[in-house]
Amino acid sequence: MDLLTTSVAAADGDPYTLVALAGEADVTNSGALRELLDAEVAKEPSTLVIDLSELRFMDSSALHVILRANRTMDRQGGVLALAGPRDPVAKMLRLTAADQLLPVYATVAEATAE
Amino acid sequence: MTEQEHAARPLPPLPPLSPPGDDATCYTYRTDLAKVRALVLQQARVAGLTEGRANDLVLAVSEVAANTLRHTQSAGTLTIWRQPGEVVCEIQDEGTIADPLAGRRRPGPDATGGHGLWLVYQVCDVVEVRSDETGTTIRMHMGI
Repeated sequence: MDLLTTSVAAADGDPYTLVALAGEADVTNSGALRELLDAEVAKEPSTLVIDLSELRFMDSSALHVILRANRTMDRQGGVLALAGPRDPVAKMLRLTAADQLLPVYATVAEATAE
Repeated sequence: MTEQEHAARPLPPLPPLSPPGDDATCYTYRTDLAKVRALVLQQARVAGLTEGRANDLVLAVSEVAANTLRHTQSAGTLTIWRQPGEVVCEIQDEGTIADPLAGRRRPGPDATGGHGLWLVYQVCDVVEVRSDETGTTIRMHMGI
């Protein structure tokens, strides 16, 4: 069973890329997550939003993949933002201070409002 | 004394851990970390942990079990039991933790590694680690 399902949307006219994660992100699927994010980051979007609202669990290996993608986005002059983390994921972002390192919004709509 | 000197000098041996409770549940895992998490969540709820603390324990156990996958070629064992006032989860595997301060230092602000054990120490009430060349046991306690 695939615990982590991902979908990517970059609608016409929308100046951002949206990656939605669902399920449980851990060390067993962080390689797949890295491939997905690397592919999107390589397209050099100005904004990459990761929708976490359907993600039940995230471990540090998934976080590290996101932080590496953030570093590359930063170098490219783009912004990586997180949206909609639920309690366990939000707490993990807080404990690791990842929420100080990249913007975290309550919803995708807020993340893409500007 | 610098951190390096600390890390280089082994601590005196720690006393052995007390045996798990009689009602302990055991589960041997290899890559099925989702099952490990489901088991911990279920047992934590039954033991009466709040949802938030149950999720904390799930995160801690999952991080330690992830290290089994990352650093060993063999299975690990999860043992869960209750004792007065707390629920205890233990992960045992064939890995070795050489640094006695592993997980005790806050990773740098833009670190892209090293958060796993650190998170375990942040969310659990007590963490006991025993490690030598034959394997590692990490016991995580959560007060009810």
